[in-house]
Amino acid sequence: MLFFALPLIELFLFAYAVSLTVTHLPTAIVDQSLDARSRDFIQALANSGNFDITLVLQNEQQVRQAMDAGTVKVGLIIPPNFEKQVLAGNGNVLILLDGSDSFSVQSGYNAALSITQKYSLNLTTEKIQSGGGAVILNALTGQLPITTTTRVLYNPDIADLIFILPGLIALIMQIIIVTNSAMAIVREREAGTLEQLLATPARPAEMVLAKLIPGMLVAILDMAMILAIGVFWFKVPFQGNILLLAGLSILFIISGMGLGLVISAVARNQRQAQQLTAVIQLLAMLLTGFLYPRTTMPLWTQIIGNLIPMTYFVRIIRGIMTKGVGLTFMWTDSLTLFIYAVIVLAIAAAISKKRLD
Amino acid sequence: MIQRILALIQKEFSQAWRDRTTMGIMLTIPLMQLIIFGYAINTNVTHIPTVVADQSLDTASRSYLDAMVNSGYFDITATAPDQNGVIQNIDAGQARVGIVIPPDFEKDVLRGDAQVLVLVDGSDLFTSQSANAYATIIGQAHSIQIVYDVIAQAGAQASGSALPTLNALIHVLYNPDMSTLWFIIPGMAAMLLQTQALALTAAAVVREREMGTIEQILVTPIRPFELMIGKIVPYVIIAMLNMLTVIAIGVFWFHVPFQGSFWLFFGLSSLYVLSGLGLGLLISSVSQNQRQAQQLMMLFMMVSLLLGGFIFPRYTMPAAVRIIGNLFPITYFIPIARGIITKGVGFSVLSGQVADLVIYIVVVMFLATITFRNRLD
Repeated sequence: MLFFALPLIELFLFAYAVSLTVTHLPTAIVDQSLDARSRDFIQALANSGNFDITLVLQNEQQVRQAMDAGTVKVGLIIPPNFEKQVLAGNGNVLILLDGSDSFSVQSGYNAALSITQKYSLNLTTEKIQSGGGAVILNALTGQLPITTTTRVLYNPDIADLIFILPGLIALIMQIIIVTNSAMAIVREREAGTLEQLLATPARPAEMVLAKLIPGMLVAILDMAMILAIGVFWFKVPFQGNILLLAGLSILFIISGMGLGLVISAVARNQRQAQQLTAVIQLLAMLLTGFLYPRTTMPLWTQIIGNLIPMTYFVRIIRGIMTKGVGLTFMWTDSLTLFIYAVIVLAIAAAISKKRLD
Repeated sequence: MIQRILALIQKEFSQAWRDRTTMGIMLTIPLMQLIIFGYAINTNVTHIPTVVADQSLDTASRSYLDAMVNSGYFDITATAPDQNGVIQNIDAGQARVGIVIPPDFEKDVLRGDAQVLVLVDGSDLFTSQSANAYATIIGQAHSIQIVYDVIAQAGAQASGSALPTLNALIHVLYNPDMSTLWFIIPGMAAMLLQTQALALTAAAVVREREMGTIEQILVTPIRPFELMIGKIVPYVIIAMLNMLTVIAIGVFWFHVPFQGSFWLFFGLSSLYVLSGLGLGLLISSVSQNQRQAQQLMMLFMMVSLLLGGFIFPRYTMPAAVRIIGNLFPITYFIPIARGIITKGVGFSVLSGQVADLVIYIVVVMFLATITFRNRLD
């Protein structure tokens, strides 16, 4: 039951509840000037959509208290005589950010910096134009000499779900496959039925295969379900070739099973198998690029990540679903996944043979 | 009564001691998490691999690229002849960002309408967020610098008064370097205590019931209330020890500052552990066997990880979702842990959160006792 409920709950939570891009930061303002210029600047900040002014206070002390209590994440303090100082060329505002909240602080920092820069430049060009400087700077029409246009490929609105969905599918599939295959053999061994099974005419390979197929079917069903809801309900675009994804998913499933079988062969009982699976799940959450970027990681954590099949599959599924690229762009990952599957199955077979003798 | 409870505690301890692998893994998982967050994970992405198509190759384009590279956010790892080459490079995953500078860049800059196209790989969220924000900011700053240079050359300053400017002083309170680890440690302590309190109690109660030993214990003079205390205390001690290990490593090895009062934190953590134990008891009274208890636990853990405010900020969530988050004790403890460890605030600031936590404990313990008793009858 949980094998179907868990993916759905996770999908809906990521879709509706969790937001990785933070806007509308609750902001406290202290305006000690109350002149036209300060009001104008506050307006510019509020209009950006990044800051919601939820509190108006008297001094910096009060802002710090509000931040201590957690009622605001950002504080803007405009000192007295703001207009005069700005015109004299030394206007300053103080922006306080709550550093205990990593998402808020990063969004707030960038937005505040960019808005002030632009505001400052507007003041300058305004002044030059009104002062007749326009003659010298005829090219300056209040616009910057270099315009940087950023275009975000594959995900133009930086929508969280477009980013999360492929990784989530990979994560859920891996959890189901590894848990299932890790339990498969250890359970029989614990119950003492493994010897009984071995006494039947079924060969070890046939037995293992028969044990693995149900888990495989559950994983494929889960994948189809999340994919369908993601694409048809949440309108996450599917850019690439679905047959290619299906083919490479089977490769991923086989390598995940191999990993599960290694756990199964190493673990002494069900509980140990469960705990080893939990460790791998944790590593998969953090190191495979599902959520956190792998490019910034040091080499040794990248290597640990490479021991988990999901690392390759996250790149493959993002490549197909989000980027819409074909096999030519990911044959290295596909080949690695294939080699991984072969090696891990060989290891699992070798260990089990040793333990049975 | 005290004697009976002590005897029970002794029994639980020896049972726990026999299962040393479980204890080992219980401690290994948080340590691994700590090391990974300490060394590997950074959501503020720098040194993003960047592919450049510079079709001008003049002074202006070079100085623009220098500004990008000097910021530390972009590392030029490849060059391409044109926009298509750049996109191909990003498609292949070799670069995350592409910068396309069109021909005649210097001339356009002097005329005031130069364009730079920055292409960002949107399939990687944190990278695209950083790249998007910093490409804009750095490009803007570079551009503004050019404006001021032009103005200075033209002698506009000599014409009279100074030019108006506005500088933003941005202070990041509590965590000036925006270190991910500083942010993670209090949340991890909270997550750890909840996980262990939940898992250990639920496992202990359900295991006993499955083996049929709970009836054996209940026919002895031990009362259900004493049984609960006897079962809870050893796990409180184990969970607290694990939590202290994590904090000690964070503070002494990773130099995460502990700003507030340690004893206040210690006291409130014990209170918080009670809430986790209550929820654990409730789960184990409701579930039929170990497997069910485990599945419920997995579900609770996952939901509370996403909704409790550990990683994702709660104020961005819709109200209905926030209410679901309120079902987990971690939601109440995270502001307390961050308040004491990172912000260094005292009890007076946190009294509201502490009151919520106390109410939660009373309610959950009440429900747990009722269901536990019903199950036994």
